[in-house]
Amino acid sequence: MTAPTVSSPPPPAADPTALRALRQTVLVIAALCGLAVLLLLVQHLRSQADDPLKSPQLLALKQQLLAEPKNEALKQQIRLLDLDLRRSHVRDVAFNAFGAWFVLVGVVVLVFAAKGIARFRVVLPSPHASPDAAERVAVTALRARRVTVGVAAITGVAFLVLALPAKTRLPSSPAGVDKVLAKLRGEGEDAPPLPSPAEFAANWPRFLGPSGAAFVTNAAFPLAFNLASGEGVLWRTPVPAPGFNSPLIWSNRVFLSGGDATNRSVFAFDLTTGTQVWQRAVANVPGSPAKPPEVPDSTGFAASTMATDGRRVFAMFANGDLATFNLDGSPVWSKNLGVPKNQYGFATSLAIWQGRLLLQYDQGEPENNLSKLIAFDGATGRVIWQKPRPVGQSWATPVVYEVAGKPQIATLAGELVIAYSVADGNELWRAQMLSGEITPSPIFAGGLVVAISPSDQLFAIKPDGAGDVTKSHVVWKTDENVPDVTSPVSNGELVFAVTSSGTVTCFDLKDGKKLWEHECELEVSSSPAIAGDRVYVFGTKGGMAVLAAAREARELAKADLAEGVLASPAFARGVMVVRTVKTLFCVADKGGPVLEAKRP
Amino acid sequence: MSTPAPNHPPVNRRQFFRDGARLAAMTGLGAFLGVAATRSRASQNTVWQIDPSKCVYCGQCATACVLKPSAVKCVQSYEICGYCDLCTGYFVPQPNSLDTGAENQVCPTAAIERKFIEDPYFEYNIDENRCIGCAKCVEGCTRFGNGSFYLQVRHDRCLNCNECSIARVCAGDAFHRVPASEPYVIKTTAHE
Amino acid sequence: MSLRRFGIAAFALLAPLWNGGLALAEQRFPPPEFETGYKMPAITTPAPRGLAMEYVDVAVLVTALGVAAWLVHRKRSRRGLIVLSLFSLVYFGFYRKGCICPIGAPQNVAYGLFNPDYAIPVTALAFFLVPLLFSLFSGRTFCSGVCPHGALQDLVLIKPVKVPLWLEQGLSIVPYIFLGAGVLFAATGAGFVICRFDPFIPLFRMTGSFFILCLAGGFLLTSLFVGRPFCRFLCPYGALLRLGSLVSKWRVRITPDYCTQCRLCEQSCPFGAIREPLVATANPAALAPDRRRLGWLLLLLPVLIAVGAWGGSKLSVPASRLHPTVALAEKYLDPKKPAPTPGSATPETLALTRADENAEAILTTAAAVRRKFDVGGWWFGGWVGLVVGLRLVSLSTRTARADFEPDRGSCYACGRCYLACPNERVRVGLLSPAEAAGLNANRAASRVAASART
Repeated sequence: MTAPTVSSPPPPAADPTALRALRQTVLVIAALCGLAVLLLLVQHLRSQADDPLKSPQLLALKQQLLAEPKNEALKQQIRLLDLDLRRSHVRDVAFNAFGAWFVLVGVVVLVFAAKGIARFRVVLPSPHASPDAAERVAVTALRARRVTVGVAAITGVAFLVLALPAKTRLPSSPAGVDKVLAKLRGEGEDAPPLPSPAEFAANWPRFLGPSGAAFVTNAAFPLAFNLASGEGVLWRTPVPAPGFNSPLIWSNRVFLSGGDATNRSVFAFDLTTGTQVWQRAVANVPGSPAKPPEVPDSTGFAASTMATDGRRVFAMFANGDLATFNLDGSPVWSKNLGVPKNQYGFATSLAIWQGRLLLQYDQGEPENNLSKLIAFDGATGRVIWQKPRPVGQSWATPVVYEVAGKPQIATLAGELVIAYSVADGNELWRAQMLSGEITPSPIFAGGLVVAISPSDQLFAIKPDGAGDVTKSHVVWKTDENVPDVTSPVSNGELVFAVTSSGTVTCFDLKDGKKLWEHECELEVSSSPAIAGDRVYVFGTKGGMAVLAAAREARELAKADLAEGVLASPAFARGVMVVRTVKTLFCVADKGGPVLEAKRP
Repeated sequence: MSTPAPNHPPVNRRQFFRDGARLAAMTGLGAFLGVAATRSRASQNTVWQIDPSKCVYCGQCATACVLKPSAVKCVQSYEICGYCDLCTGYFVPQPNSLDTGAENQVCPTAAIERKFIEDPYFEYNIDENRCIGCAKCVEGCTRFGNGSFYLQVRHDRCLNCNECSIARVCAGDAFHRVPASEPYVIKTTAHE
Repeated sequence: MSLRRFGIAAFALLAPLWNGGLALAEQRFPPPEFETGYKMPAITTPAPRGLAMEYVDVAVLVTALGVAAWLVHRKRSRRGLIVLSLFSLVYFGFYRKGCICPIGAPQNVAYGLFNPDYAIPVTALAFFLVPLLFSLFSGRTFCSGVCPHGALQDLVLIKPVKVPLWLEQGLSIVPYIFLGAGVLFAATGAGFVICRFDPFIPLFRMTGSFFILCLAGGFLLTSLFVGRPFCRFLCPYGALLRLGSLVSKWRVRITPDYCTQCRLCEQSCPFGAIREPLVATANPAALAPDRRRLGWLLLLLPVLIAVGAWGGSKLSVPASRLHPTVALAEKYLDPKKPAPTPGSATPETLALTRADENAEAILTTAAAVRRKFDVGGWWFGGWVGLVVGLRLVSLSTRTARADFEPDRGSCYACGRCYLACPNERVRVGLLSPAEAAGLNANRAASRVAASART
């Protein structure tokens, strides 16, 4: 084992047989070890390319079984293949372990034999005096310095090669991080400023309009118009895809969504002419299920009304797809939130607050704990916060409003009205006021949250409480002519509610006293809307009625559109946009569309 | 024949320098020990462990461990198991039938044993010798069931590498050093 | 019960949620109430290796170091060192799988010093300090027979090839650079690169990643023909021990009493550690150029440190990418990051989802790591400059010595040279004094002949 020295036990006289034997041993062992290493290598590459536990063949067969669940032969085939694959996995593992031990033992023997050979080959040293030590030392030192400089140079070049091309988006200062985060939230310096409250109010950016009570002032739309003849209609255009969602108006654009189990799209129309400006299919959404869920036709895939924050439009579909586009139609982000577990199909519309998109994602039963309220960053789709909700599926749209300068979002579902802080999602108050299947949405008017428990009661809550406010903050409630599907609307003084059978009832917002009721003789499933002093009610069979928004009942007009309306109208910029089952049409007041706001 | 060193003083000087340097080095090491020891506690030997609440079932535990097969295995917290007939950790989505046929099992190595207890309850056990830590069952059980299946580093197998090679690539940042006195993160309630 | 049996249809309805990512999971099925007296099995929790065993490791280390020091300096036994090497190879190598070992311990210490959350394990501290302490007294006795890496390389050495001294001396700065990098990455929490690229650990484990196994095979094959390639050209802990042994109290002495200048020992060392005698030059004028060079190099030293520090500071961006959080943050901020594909989440997309959900925390952490690298880069670069500069300085000084002596820093105390020395052989009785005298006479004659020739 020792290295050659002068006087190791006298080097064995070169015994040719022993030497040959050792040499052959070394050769054989080296060959065996080499072979083993080669086999292990081949095995490694093979299992890299074709891992028995990830066999695509097995996956394909399993997929096939889904299509033919009764195919016994196929099952048998899967079982045999699975057994085979698992055997081969076990074999691979055992092979590797054996190979490692084999190589280890081989190397030990090899080293021993090779050392044996080395002992035969001892060349006795016969050192000579070499007098020029100083010179040798000098030369060695010189060369060593050169090598050192060389290593330093290589290190330096490596530094440069690594450092020069390195570009990073990650700042190292906390201030820089804040800037990046702000940009991620869509609040960066280069992001266009958020629309002003005035601009927001001048448009119809969400379900039930900017005020959240389906009310605009200073509008006087014609009482008489005829869809068939075109009389009084500014423009009309066919609705390109089915859907129960209501149109939005922002600047010179009208937005709506539509779709079915196979295709889902977002559409934009010009407000002045009604021509379709763009259409974007919502496809290839990351995580979207290959097989769409079964949704009843009475809801469809596009029941949720879109929302816009003035920079982007957001659309939600019943398969859980949530998509965002810029106003010019360029896609921003999309994601699938998981198919909502909802027996009638998802129908809750989107809510918006400044740059944030708020989604009440209720589903399943309360005990499933699947429901939640999510705040997305509109620019990126990043979840800013999400809060679990102790309720099951619901269909109402939450309303966003400000109380003492702080934005709140009020939600209805199950038995509970719950309000959350928009800033952080913390629950502010709740009231146990509801029963049944919650479809009518809450509104905010005159400082009160007005909501409906379907066919049960209409009530108003003062939203400045905390905790359970069931006993303390309910200002009034009434059980007269309470609708089951449509939402109440209010002009800040009066509350109007329409039942499915067309009974319009007017209540005083202050105390909930019924002022009057009026039979419109329409089947109604869409929420009404108030433009100035007129309440517009559209029926599912094509009829419509206009009532005075006043303390006494007065029917101003009645007409037949010949096409049923299932969506609520949108009022903004001097026009009314209505989606019937087949047509999107626009009616302008005397001045025509007002587009003074800056174009997108 | 040896020539004695011609001048002693340099040797002595060198010796003096060495003694001084050694003394300085020892002082340095002592000081170092002092500083380091204040940050060191006898009971603070650590081992690697997975925080089940952070696990995102990425499958890296099966492949990134220096051991083949991995030292990470699925464990079963019986206390929180629902003993379901339709076990979402045992069966593939949309199983053909609720039996032990290979076409119905999600585990690629058939490491989960399904045992009938009483109607309608079944017990599920992990055979650690077969488990490869791929987390397929963990995903099914956590998403749709009680989450009684979850991954843990098994310390009878783990080599406790100085730097865990799974921790480096863990998609959920679920690997941490935990005190060796509490080497497991055992779930006692579902989805803590 | 109904819930539990709601069956395949409901599961199929849920199935698309596999892709969801947002599905919140809660206790869905209450634990059953058994009627048949079923006993619930308990979860098994096999304990990790006990703390007591860690102290056993430290005790074994200290004992082995003591035995090695005794074998090197008192017993002067190469054979004993081989036996000790075999023991260390089996115990620290194949039994303890090379974890924990002193080579990686500087990283634990650096990580602990810069990350208050991490308490340095006592064993790691002991493994770091004890061999260093020994080196101050008995040289690199740790390398000689206690280190499993060294033992492995030493034992498989068959036919050493002589590496030119100048190459070895020039490359000897590499371990210091590696040490600096290891400390930098450990202190910033980016990872333990010394452990990650350790070529022998996978041999002890007999498994590992493809790359590291190839590296291991390469080093093993090299070790057959080049003495201790890892120790000489890479080992960062060896770099520390080299410093310690420069000032060690006892050094390896080849000859028990006096040197016959026979040069036999020089041949026996496979690591090129034995230096020949060098007489101090009598003529001071001849030394003037050397003195000037030394002066310039001393002046150059601070310049090198400054340049290195500047270069190192530029490294913070690429170097910090070794930290998983920084890598994730960078990927998250990259507009070309991969989008999650429906149905098949990869670890990468899962990590990006996590980044999306915790953007603030992850970016803040990543930026903090980047700042650590900004500072650490200066130190690391400066360290590289210092190492290069000091090496150049030390290569420009000369040490006069009278006898053949092992270089204090380069000697691994393997004991091969002992029995190469005729005087040692006389001491242990392998050679009679008469034979030695004859040998000396021959040497003297040949020296006379040589001087006659010149």
